Amino acid sequence: MTVLLAVQSVTKVFGGLVAVDKVDVDIREGSIASLIGPNGAGKTTLFNCLTGLYRPEEGEILFENQSLVGLRSDEITARGIARTYQNIRLFGRMTALENVLVGQHLRLHASHWSAILRTARQQAEERAARETGRELLDFVGLGGQAEVVATNLPYGDQRLLEVARALGSRPRLLLLDEPAAGMNPRETERMMELMHRLRDEMGVTVFLIEHDMKVVMSISENVTVLDYGKKIASGAPDEVRANPRVVEAYLGPEVAVDGPVTAQEH
Amino acid sequence: MPKSIKTGLIAFAFLSYLILVGLPGRTGGNALPLLAFAAALFFWYRLRRESRTQSRLVPQSGAAGQAKPGWEIGHGPQAQVQTGAVTRGGFPLRVLTQGAAAGATAGLLIAIVSAVFAEILGNGVAIQPVFDKIVPVNVAALLGVSPGAVAEAQVPPLRYLISALYFTGGGILAALAVLAGMTDAARAAGPTQWRSRLSGPAFTSAGRWLVIALPFALLAVVIWLGLPGVSLFGNDRSTVRLLFTLIATGSGLFALRAATPGRERLAVSVLIGLGVLCMPFVLDQFQNSVMGIVFIFVMMGLGLNIVVGYAGLLDLGYVAFFAIGAYTYAFVSAPFSSPYISGLLTGLGVPADSPLLGYWMALPLAMITAAFGGILLGIPVLRLRGDYLAIVTLGFGEIIRLFMLNLGELTNGPRGILEIAQPDLFGLAPEAVSGGLLSSQGWIFLLALVSSAAIAFVAIRLNDSRLGRAWIAMQEDEDVAQATGVHLVRTKLLAFAIGATFAGLAGQLYAARQINIFPENFSLFVSIDALALIIVGGIGSPAGIVLGALALKGLPEVLRGVDEYRIVAFAALLVIMMIVRPAGILPSARRRFEAAAEEAGAGEIAPEADETFVKKQENDKGTGADGEKGAMP
Repeated sequence: MTVLLAVQSVTKVFGGLVAVDKVDVDIREGSIASLIGPNGAGKTTLFNCLTGLYRPEEGEILFENQSLVGLRSDEITARGIARTYQNIRLFGRMTALENVLVGQHLRLHASHWSAILRTARQQAEERAARETGRELLDFVGLGGQAEVVATNLPYGDQRLLEVARALGSRPRLLLLDEPAAGMNPRETERMMELMHRLRDEMGVTVFLIEHDMKVVMSISENVTVLDYGKKIASGAPDEVRANPRVVEAYLGPEVAVDGPVTAQEH
Repeated sequence: MPKSIKTGLIAFAFLSYLILVGLPGRTGGNALPLLAFAAALFFWYRLRRESRTQSRLVPQSGAAGQAKPGWEIGHGPQAQVQTGAVTRGGFPLRVLTQGAAAGATAGLLIAIVSAVFAEILGNGVAIQPVFDKIVPVNVAALLGVSPGAVAEAQVPPLRYLISALYFTGGGILAALAVLAGMTDAARAAGPTQWRSRLSGPAFTSAGRWLVIALPFALLAVVIWLGLPGVSLFGNDRSTVRLLFTLIATGSGLFALRAATPGRERLAVSVLIGLGVLCMPFVLDQFQNSVMGIVFIFVMMGLGLNIVVGYAGLLDLGYVAFFAIGAYTYAFVSAPFSSPYISGLLTGLGVPADSPLLGYWMALPLAMITAAFGGILLGIPVLRLRGDYLAIVTLGFGEIIRLFMLNLGELTNGPRGILEIAQPDLFGLAPEAVSGGLLSSQGWIFLLALVSSAAIAFVAIRLNDSRLGRAWIAMQEDEDVAQATGVHLVRTKLLAFAIGATFAGLAGQLYAARQINIFPENFSLFVSIDALALIIVGGIGSPAGIVLGALALKGLPEVLRGVDEYRIVAFAALLVIMMIVRPAGILPSARRRFEAAAEEAGAGEIAPEADETFVKKQENDKGTGADGEKGAMP
């Protein structure tokens, strides 16, 4: 399989703190990959570098063999990368459908003049966008909630809506920042199923940050572990789980010496 | 504090305002019934709202076993179930008591205050010259006695009681109206529907038609007042007529909301449009000039609303674009007022005192220069948000004014640009074309009306497009909007440029209206006025902005007679307004939702607000939304 996203020794520094330190990650097209690590390891910072919120000091980010470094976040979204946020950041006063419509902003091309005149083409485009929006809401399981104001949705549904909004820009790579955080087991189950369907039905490559080891280990084909901004391990879930450096990073050196405590139990 | 007492206090504050601005003195013998009626209207509004929440808090008979504390009920699906309990025993009595209590509170306070003033005046204590000129007349009218009786402390004590009873009666009347409306609505529309206010088809059919008919009735009154020989409320006919004009225009907006979306609303809006368009022809020069300035501010408000209301960029220097539009037209219309341009033209051999461009030819020029100004301001402030943005824009507004003041060579400094041409109609003066029907100010008013309508049309359509969605998204969260694919620079600059264009149009018309313009016409207060009117009317709602302009720019003209402290009284009214209706008089659906959610706190009213919001959405989409109703939860 081809490499969709290649992160090559990316470094991000805040003042004296090296938040991300020469990290390399390869995401293969059509895979589900995870990024794990203790709190403050630089996971979200790496995501922010990928989506153009931060500009890395060093390194190269190649998406479909083209560099993303220095692009604005909307340009990166236009290339085909969309994301969700760790602390949900929906457009709270807009309805669910409107949120997805904003997600589609890049894919709509009617001029503002045509919006004033309500030309047939602009109207057709708007109708199609609403149609797509409803389909995406159905896809993530929010069918029937289209007209509900985003802040009024339950927590789990808000996370799903973020995914739907991200899908609005028709991404090839979807970055999910802790999609299962704060969810109950049933909602987590639903989210995992959604991630599979994202890849299988939508053909979207998924790269996620997650703390729930059950999710990470069961869903991903490749796991990358960050600790203090450095990549300490990467590979198949089983390899990573057995890696003593990972166990150490999660549980501290003393426990690691003691023996076979696995990351899963953590 | 019981809710009814609170209602009474708010009513008292409102009434004090009306009294302070001298309404009783103006209306003479009719003061008491008029004020009581105004109070009754307010009570009706409050009672209707309260009774609605109350009936929602009453558990249904089936659910009585699992009664919960009041604050818990209203969460989630339970809230929807509890609307059937309107006809519960004792409920009418409670509403009546509340109405009476609210009325009595307001009435007693008014009686006490007027007694205090009557006592002070009777004892010959001078308070302050302006005050002493106005207070006796008002107090006397309020008590139904002659000013002389007040001055000589000869007010019969019974008068105070009567004045208090009037307001209590108003409260009871309001309660009766609420009860009548409720049973009527419950019969006609079922229990869940009468809850949504003037926002949709749920309004009682009789009440709805009344609201729709009201502006036309008021317009008829305005026309009747203009007939020779008709006199109402004494010698101040012109002002009274202006007041009626303002109210008629405002009530037209409520009528629009009351009309059912679809054909009915279309018909009503066409009729109201025609009614409003005939106003410039029937009003006199004074009323037309006031209405002209009101609608020039509507144009500005609609433009500022794009920047502040849609895109969420707090712009305090909006007057700059108004000034740019005005001066652009001034330069091409009266070029010989500007020493520099005058010299330039004489050098080219242009005969003196001839305008370069007429109003219509200058229109695109004013729009383009203002839009250019908008982009010029927009670029440096792209990265600024909130307070910082406000300060920088504030400075920009002042810079433009100081330019106008100090670039004497170009702008003629404080001496201003004089003799700016009136807009022509096919090359002729409007008076001549209309056969004297249309006065010069009426022509300005007509132009302001048409321009406002055009601007509102563009603003509403843009808001309903992907650009509008991008604006709202940007307002909510800039970073996320950009990461979602919104081009921030372009979207922001478009907001600034479009907003500025509208202000430029308003400025050009303003210059034509004023004929002579000076830098001092474009002070910070113009920005503040424009901002205040969209906040009072309802940010994001074009109808609200019209209402805000009527209230903020029109009403003070009615109160001209009481110059000195009308501003104080006006400020008080604004404060009260923002407490009672924080989202504005006619809020946009989004703001209504937000305000309701804040008011509810624990989410008690949120389901209802949500419902109105969904409804508004449907309304906005018009008839095409039929297919979407099926998808609603």
